[in-house]
Amino acid sequence: MQVTRTFKQAFLEQMLLGFRVTDVSSKRMSFQEKKSVIKLSADVALAVARGSRKWTRGLIANLSMEQQKRQLPRMILVKQYERLMKPCGSTSWKIPRSKKILRKCLRVSSTRRKKKLCAVEKRRRVLRRLVPGGESLSGFSLLDETLDYVLSLRAQVCLMQSLLMTCEASKRR
Amino acid sequence: MEPRGSSGVGSGNSGTYTPEIAESLRFEEEIQSLIDPSFDASSAAGGSFTALLGLPANQAVELLHHPGPGEPPASAATDTLRLPFGCSSTFVERAARFSVFATDDSPASSSGGGLSPGLKAEPPDSDSPPTLPAPAGKPRRPSKRKECEKSKAKAVAKKSKSAEENTSAAKPAAEENTSGDKLPYVHVRARRGQATDSHSLAERARREKINARMKLLQELVPGCSKITGTALVLDEIINHVQSLQRQVEFLSMKLAAVNPRIDFSGLDHILSAECGPLAVASGCGGGASDPAMWASDTAASTGGIRRMPAPPQIWHLDVVHPQQSSTVWENNGVAHPHFLLSPATSLVGYDPASSVPLNSNRLKTEL
Repeated sequence: MQVTRTFKQAFLEQMLLGFRVTDVSSKRMSFQEKKSVIKLSADVALAVARGSRKWTRGLIANLSMEQQKRQLPRMILVKQYERLMKPCGSTSWKIPRSKKILRKCLRVSSTRRKKKLCAVEKRRRVLRRLVPGGESLSGFSLLDETLDYVLSLRAQVCLMQSLLMTCEASKRR
Repeated sequence: MEPRGSSGVGSGNSGTYTPEIAESLRFEEEIQSLIDPSFDASSAAGGSFTALLGLPANQAVELLHHPGPGEPPASAATDTLRLPFGCSSTFVERAARFSVFATDDSPASSSGGGLSPGLKAEPPDSDSPPTLPAPAGKPRRPSKRKECEKSKAKAVAKKSKSAEENTSAAKPAAEENTSGDKLPYVHVRARRGQATDSHSLAERARREKINARMKLLQELVPGCSKITGTALVLDEIINHVQSLQRQVEFLSMKLAAVNPRIDFSGLDHILSAECGPLAVASGCGGGASDPAMWASDTAASTGGIRRMPAPPQIWHLDVVHPQQSSTVWENNGVAHPHFLLSPATSLVGYDPASSVPLNSNRLKTEL
């Protein structure tokens, strides 16, 4: 159900829209800039295609924080994902707050339980850093979002591969 | 196509599953009454942890839909909506076993066979699991429930305090089982020799949820099913996520390298048309056949594109700018069958001002 045709279409459309908006086909940008723009387009397309999930909101929050310096082309993409951020608009504020709470919890519990901190908890912390917006998740929701994120990442990789292949194929002609 | 495709996973699904869950729980009561003649079916909780896994089962069934008949590569040609990623047969089997809707006799074949028609006709996506077991018939269900009982419950519990379980299970039920028309509480059976107070029951429910998720993740990430131990499995998951992210970066770099020559507006026709799923399938499966597929499918794609009202305007613009379009044709080197691709590229590449309303028009027809 997750990787449906609608998802694929939404992803590709959003990505091509991003290419068009940022005018990535022009020769003015450097290679590094092009790469970062394409990656940004791909991430936004993934978040938009997936819909409203915790990790998509976290991803968009991260992207908009990174891209503060270049406002103008992002604004056109922003209107798409403001639609996503609307239902849970205060998540971005929740994140720093729950970070503090999590840190306090970890500090308190670490004095009591040193065993739990070793194997599983370290990896959980790493996973939280990997999954976007994962800092505020714990336990079940972390695994849930990881599952969703892995599926979506796979879809993204596949779709980008097919896009690359069609570009190369049409270039060969 | 699929109205709820991009909405949250599983939010609307639990409503369709609870009648089946309630029915299967009632069958369990019957089985229990058969096993233990002193069992009071009316008062006791009829469910097991499988009901608690109702939500993971829902999501497992949803996850079940997308991989589809993953493993037989021979049927790739016949199945138009093959999704190449995700699925091994073991995963389908395990997820089908989690789901309350897999039939007893041949879980792999029936779920695999039942999924491909379910995938081919995507609007009845949510309908396919309820309709699939309905024709399967009732007598299979009790045997399936017995199998679940054996595989999941470690020992048949002797005590089950319905009052305490109701209050403790209400909390996991409230957060998992959203529709409460037939089954407001998830009846949890206490296992033999384990505490039955509300706290430990809630904790056990939570742990079961987390373990179910871990199992699904294990089956998703390749090479994880043999590993035992949470830490190592989490290691694999982390490695997998990191590798996928690196792959995305690498692909974006490759796209940046190939990008400057190509104009993308024409491509999205073809990609979103029926060539889309085929291209994805071949592209991910190792698509050296991709150019061949484009050549063979241009007839279909041009036929599909002609249905849209945009092409006449594209041809009109070609008349206005003949020299530019001819240079585009030279640049792309496209043959005559692909003429619908080149006017599209000539539009955006060389005449952005006049093509902007045309682009929006085309976007509207696509979207």
